[in-house]
Amino acid sequence: MAFEATLIGILCYLGALSSPWLLGVTGGWYLLSRPLVSGMLVGLILGDMQSGILIGVAVQAVYIAMVTPGGSMPADLNFVAYPAIALGILSGKGPEVAVALAATIGIAGTVLFNLMLVLNSWWNHRADVALENGNERGIYLNSAIWPQASLFLMRFVPTFIAVYFGAQYINVVMDSLPKMVLSTMNVLGGILPAVGIAILLKQIIKRYSMLIYFLVGFICIVFLKLNMVALVIVGALLALIHYNYKPEPQPAGATVPVDDKDEF
Amino acid sequence: MEPRKLSRQDLRRCWRSWMMYNLSSMSFERLASFGFCLSMLPVARKLYPDLQQRKEMLKRHASFYNTEPQIGAIVNGMVLGLEEKRANGEPIDGETINTLKVGLMGPVAGIGDSMIPGMLIPILLSIGMALAAGGSILGPLFYTVAWLGIILPGTWFLFLKGYHMGSTSVEMLVSSKSTRLREALSLLGVFVMGGVAASYVRLGTGMEFVTRDGVNIQLQPMLDGIFPQLLPLMVVIGTWYLMAKRGLSPVKAMLLLLVVAATGVAIGLFTG
Repeated sequence: MAFEATLIGILCYLGALSSPWLLGVTGGWYLLSRPLVSGMLVGLILGDMQSGILIGVAVQAVYIAMVTPGGSMPADLNFVAYPAIALGILSGKGPEVAVALAATIGIAGTVLFNLMLVLNSWWNHRADVALENGNERGIYLNSAIWPQASLFLMRFVPTFIAVYFGAQYINVVMDSLPKMVLSTMNVLGGILPAVGIAILLKQIIKRYSMLIYFLVGFICIVFLKLNMVALVIVGALLALIHYNYKPEPQPAGATVPVDDKDEF
Repeated sequence: MEPRKLSRQDLRRCWRSWMMYNLSSMSFERLASFGFCLSMLPVARKLYPDLQQRKEMLKRHASFYNTEPQIGAIVNGMVLGLEEKRANGEPIDGETINTLKVGLMGPVAGIGDSMIPGMLIPILLSIGMALAAGGSILGPLFYTVAWLGIILPGTWFLFLKGYHMGSTSVEMLVSSKSTRLREALSLLGVFVMGGVAASYVRLGTGMEFVTRDGVNIQLQPMLDGIFPQLLPLMVVIGTWYLMAKRGLSPVKAMLLLLVVAATGVAIGLFTG
């Protein structure tokens, strides 16, 4: 299990928010740290890709719209994507329990995320000093390279420990839980995606009238039984209609010409 | 003085440097500031051979900065164009460049956050999740290919636009046409979220009633007959209402759902 835990730990580091190696957030945070993608990779490493993807999809639904504005995070998606999904797969208790597990680890992980921000202040200070001395190499090292050392430790070590020891004990722990707790985790895992969806709706919906589109989308699935690809196509067409027929806003002060001739 | 012209390769190095390091040394008080500085570093020597001027330029770009990195590439292109002009003796002072940068980071972050993590990624993920049904590898692969296929050429295009067109390029982002496009896209986002809610939020009740005549009535099949997925819909709308109108934070919303789930299981309302 040490080999698998090492691989997952490295992937976790590569997908962390400030890891630069895969073109920054483009290949890391927004790609490797999406549970949909990490579920596949972790599943592949642990030898059960199918349940990895299934768990990845279930967890992804919770974090579908996690925006990270200005460094404050409601959950550390990176720890959700790697150690939490790995434990979810290893526990073998199904996607819902994995979701509840992931949400807990995600909230706990924000502590380490904030610790990284604090540690980086120190590297920033050293980069400032280098800047003052006109030392370009120093700027590069203190803002591109050295912060990665502390980040690597903070991402690799917890993940390695979680996967390495989790593989041995997760089953024991899970089986010792009372049935009530497992049922609660199951129900919770089913309803947690509501938070992810609500985060996105909160951002987008400015007027109550936009809620109509949400309901139409919902009804297209439950009553009309569209699949998601068809739903996106229908939505894109609706959006196109909106784009084409929404009137241009009237410039301020422009008067609508009044046609005062009688029309017969 | 011979003109200091940036080659296409220089531009690419600056773009890559921004894309890689934009948050590499993020902290509470500096966020992407050294990321911006690092994106100017590859051409610093070429533009300002004089040490004093170079130091000034790097210092200018290490001041506080934070924006959405992908759409934000346009600002880096723009600043690079202005610095090139300044290095060639045009009368642009450093303060002007800094003011432009600081003035743009807020609006660009607003547009970027709503376009990239708020719109493009959720829509691509929704499709990917649907394609991954039953554990199919197609879903993750679709997301990977579609995301990289859109974002890599997209940010490079914005970067070049910023470089060539200067401050006029931002008008492209805030014009009424692009506002309308964003509105249309947000409509698509809300619509797709409706589908995601219907597909991925699960809640069922195990409530049963036995009437006086001994007829067993199960609530869930009855609900399914009237409005399938009614309970998940109520959970989503309720969560949205509490978060948007009552200012509940995501973590508190999660805790609230935990309380709801635990209570529901304890009184036998929900089945897990």
